Amino acid sequence: MKFSLQQQAADEATLPWLEDAQKLGEQPAADWVKAMRHTGAEAFSRTGLPTPSWEGWQHTHLRPLTQTRFHYKVEPVKFDINALPSSLLKDAARIVLVNGQYKPELSATPEGVIVMSLMDASVQVEGIEEHLVTVGDLATAPFKALNAAYMHDGAVIIVKDGADITQPLEVLFYNAGDADKAPSLQPRCLYWLGKNSGLTVFERHAGVGAYFTNIYTGIFLESASRLKFYKIEEESAAACHFSYTVLQQQKHSSFEGFSYAAGGRLVRQEYQNLLIDSGISCNVSGVYLLKDQQCHDFTVLTDHFEPDGTSVQHFKGVIDDQARSVFQGKIHVRRVAQKTNGNQLNHALLLSEKAEASFKPELEIYADDVKCSHGAASGQLDQDALFYLQSRGIPATEAKSLLIESFLNGALAEVSFAPAREVYEERIREWLGH
Amino acid sequence: MTMLKIENLHAEVGGREVLKGINLAVNAGEVHAVMGPNGSGKSTLSYVLAGRPGYEVTKGKVIFLGKDLLSLSPEERAATGLFLAFQYPVEIPGVSTTTFLKTALSAVRKQRGEKELAPVEFLKLQKEKMAQLGMDADMLKRGVNVGFSGGEKKRNEALQMAMLAPKLAILDETDSGLDIDALKVVAGGVNALRDKDRAFLVITHYQRLLDYIKPDIVHVLTHGKIQKTGGPELALELENKGYAEFTGDAA
Repeated sequence: MKFSLQQQAADEATLPWLEDAQKLGEQPAADWVKAMRHTGAEAFSRTGLPTPSWEGWQHTHLRPLTQTRFHYKVEPVKFDINALPSSLLKDAARIVLVNGQYKPELSATPEGVIVMSLMDASVQVEGIEEHLVTVGDLATAPFKALNAAYMHDGAVIIVKDGADITQPLEVLFYNAGDADKAPSLQPRCLYWLGKNSGLTVFERHAGVGAYFTNIYTGIFLESASRLKFYKIEEESAAACHFSYTVLQQQKHSSFEGFSYAAGGRLVRQEYQNLLIDSGISCNVSGVYLLKDQQCHDFTVLTDHFEPDGTSVQHFKGVIDDQARSVFQGKIHVRRVAQKTNGNQLNHALLLSEKAEASFKPELEIYADDVKCSHGAASGQLDQDALFYLQSRGIPATEAKSLLIESFLNGALAEVSFAPAREVYEERIREWLGH
Repeated sequence: MTMLKIENLHAEVGGREVLKGINLAVNAGEVHAVMGPNGSGKSTLSYVLAGRPGYEVTKGKVIFLGKDLLSLSPEERAATGLFLAFQYPVEIPGVSTTTFLKTALSAVRKQRGEKELAPVEFLKLQKEKMAQLGMDADMLKRGVNVGFSGGEKKRNEALQMAMLAPKLAILDETDSGLDIDALKVVAGGVNALRDKDRAFLVITHYQRLLDYIKPDIVHVLTHGKIQKTGGPELALELENKGYAEFTGDAA
């Protein structure tokens, strides 16, 4: 009796989230895609969304997500083409996804790069299955499971062995909300870099109105490949954005990831970095700028499997009004991963008394010959520095901006590609209001 | 012309009264020295004039160039022509010295209704003033005062003063932490700015600085009040006798 009551409660909680997934049954798809959807739906129906009693979910509350009913649509989305933001860089190629749906007619691909929709890739690309499969335990990752249940939208980006792509690629996720029927978007993306290839990506998330986007991104870096991955999360103020990035790196590959997070009502960006061979470099860093009632969560796991790896997690955040930030960072060094060099640093600057920052920095080290460090702290603007600047004639607001910019520059220094740094600096200045 | 007029100024820090009725008038072109022992209220006076938060004026008024100084924000005071050379210049990591100078100068010029300097003019001015102070260009790229020696910090204060060209410069214990060579350079920078339209308030514990920056008038400050005012000879007298006469302590 007790069991069935609980079961019923779980059904009520999970049903609305999975209801629309049935629509996908009418679409043609490879058997393994259907199987993945089934596994995802089953896993999600068992857990529902995470609650604050879950490990890793104590500080990020889902109310902004659960108080709205979101609807998944399989039909091509209608949108105003003039509303698309202009390109970030004038010399970059750009591919566009609208509400998670890849739009080849709006996209241009750099030479040497293959881009196709997720569903096309699922039937056309040999060996794609193992790259598109959801990595990790679905029972502890409901958003992964939910995305798997809706496996249909998204894009696959492939760089062939040895191709060093110099032209940057902008991947624009443009999301059009709908006041009557707020959309649920469940895209899945893959970046697959062949041996000794190189690519620079600007992944930008922007939109209007209310929507829920839940992205699963697989990044697969074969040996000696190099990916610079610059994310810009500037979702609409009413949006909920959940992204789960699983990075798998092979020998001597390098990943330089940076994330600018300033949009959305409720955002969680989760990274699972699997350094499965030796001599890998992995940098996942970022800045977050929050105001009003925004809540943003960076959850980053970097897992060193083999020796001679270098990893960095360097985040700086500025939190104003009643906004809240969460940072959960972990560096895991397995027993054989000797000579690992891992650094984690997170600093938050609180600009108002009601702003809040939560940290959970962790090092879990089983190897004995490693260099690892971590540090986390929150603080206020340095009043002495502020007065010093003002005493030189710099107005208080400008002095504050100068101090905030200089604080954020500490993390921006992780970005080696100057045009990316400029994109971020411009946005920071805009956020600061000048 | 009276540039600065302080009348019956009382001020508290953390609820404790530190200034207990200061009266002082400084005319354009004059150099005044305010001398006193530790804890006499010298630094408090300089911070109150510059508008530092936490220094609360409870009584009295300050007129600077015809304006009610105490009603102005720190940046407005700077734009009006007040400059405080800090005893302990603040380190600001991540803000380069040149960005800082440029931002300060354009902010001040804007508030004064002057045209912003063209980048070339700014660089020329910066280079010229740095040469006068024997400063290394390498410093411009470093964070403001970050990793600077005591001497470099004080030269940086003198550089800012030269760039901002204030009407009244308050030098708060500029000699502290300086060896004699650095002291000469910084004093040289100050003396280069002396002019009939500009005044200085030199706050110091020791007579030593006044060998290089010669004052017109010397005030003795103890217990939050000006106890005595005289000519340069008063500084020499203090050097010989100490402050005991004014503090009530036995020498």
